[in-house]
Amino acid sequence: MNKRLLPFLPLIPLIAGCVGRDAVIVGSKNFTESLLLGEIVAQQLERYQVPVERKLYLGGTFVCHQAIVAGQIDLYVEYTGTASSAVLKLPAAHDAARVRQSVDSAYRANWGIEWTAPFGFNNTFAMLVRRQDAARLGIRTLSQAARYAPGWKPAFGYEFVEREDGYRGLLQAYGLRFGTRPATMDLALTYRALAEGRADFIAGNSTDGLIKALDLFPLEDDRHYFPPYQAAPVVRSQVFSRFPAARAALAKLANTLTDERMRELNYQVDVGHQRPADVAAGFLAGVAK
Amino acid sequence: MSFLQYLIANQDEVLARTVEHLWLVAISSGLAVLVGVPAGVLLTRRPGLRTPILGFANVVQTIPSLALFGFLIPLPFIGGIGARTAIVALVLYGLLPIIRNTYTGIVAVDPAVREAARGMGMTDAQVLWIVELRLAAPVILAGVRIAVVLAVGIGTIAAAIGGGGLGEFIFRGVAMVSTPVILAGAVPAALLALTADGGLHLLERVLDWRR
Repeated sequence: MNKRLLPFLPLIPLIAGCVGRDAVIVGSKNFTESLLLGEIVAQQLERYQVPVERKLYLGGTFVCHQAIVAGQIDLYVEYTGTASSAVLKLPAAHDAARVRQSVDSAYRANWGIEWTAPFGFNNTFAMLVRRQDAARLGIRTLSQAARYAPGWKPAFGYEFVEREDGYRGLLQAYGLRFGTRPATMDLALTYRALAEGRADFIAGNSTDGLIKALDLFPLEDDRHYFPPYQAAPVVRSQVFSRFPAARAALAKLANTLTDERMRELNYQVDVGHQRPADVAAGFLAGVAK
Repeated sequence: MSFLQYLIANQDEVLARTVEHLWLVAISSGLAVLVGVPAGVLLTRRPGLRTPILGFANVVQTIPSLALFGFLIPLPFIGGIGARTAIVALVLYGLLPIIRNTYTGIVAVDPAVREAARGMGMTDAQVLWIVELRLAAPVILAGVRIAVVLAVGIGTIAAAIGGGGLGEFIFRGVAMVSTPVILAGAVPAALLALTADGGLHLLERVLDWRR
């Protein structure tokens, strides 16, 4: 999902400067969700007495990937869809389990890196309507929404309209027809426009805290049109030989987060201005050790 | 694909977006003149309004466009998404140079000339129309010129609120990480700004000459 990689090239030597092998080095990308997940993984390892060193907020996919391949970090949380399209350049696939399988075997074979169990949520495009509309019309899925689309005014960000796995494919996949041509505008303003009733259908990100803040409803992609973006730790295999407890620690994180729970955590940081470390600790308090 | 190739392959859309852009600039500049010039005149008649009105126009300049759009979306009649909201924002951004130059131009008129006009028996309205506005015209026009050139540039943000224009290419290009697409919006916008500036400069010279 992340193409803004090149500007971060100069960071690599910086990361390469620090080598310490007595701890698991946990990295993360430079946005709230990745930071939170990095913090969750780090604290979970610490709960299992695995020593951890944090190198969070490193940059985009490119920087994190280069860093883990070079052994400068041991672990970070990646999305299956991003690994598949941006790192491995594989064609888009729609079956979540198969995508996970293919990235895991490619990472093992190429770099000795494993994908451990996914957190359970899927950070992909989310087609949003106002919650009250969804309730009034009794709709839950995109297939059900297609009936009402001709009366709706859609608004999308530019990326969604231009991307191959965006707007055009969506229309085909669900036979959607809207009453008006979509307004193309700034992504953050589409949320606002929807909440204020100026648009009726927008494309957001499924784990965005604004969905909760503005009381929006994500329609289920029941035909699995959008490629899966499951989040899971990617870990250098030798971590498990150095720290055997790490495997059990990470296994406990499997399926602990739904889309909604992830939205809530992002919301606590982005809207509630809590510290990511505190939010992560609060979350882990509810995860069985 | 190079910039020129992209431009040629998409010439119809580039042309349509340019026309859209011109339209946004024309409507918003026209409205800014209709609001700004009378407001400037009002300031010369009611000095007490100077601070609040110029203060307002100044503050508007400092509001980032995305934030301004955020404020405008919920408003009835002038808000929402689309070209109308973009025009409201462009009018607001255009007000400052027009109000300020109208005020400055009229205040700078030689008091002796004004006295002479009164002495000839002109009414207040006649003094304004025949003497003050005519003498202040070059200064007012200079303000309009600034406002129009600004509108051509700022007009690209209309695309952030579904208002179309050349900004479409710029936002699309940023989303696609494609320089040719960005340039397909930025280069025509720059040419438009230069043309508008040159055209209004010519008009200024003509008015000066007629005086």
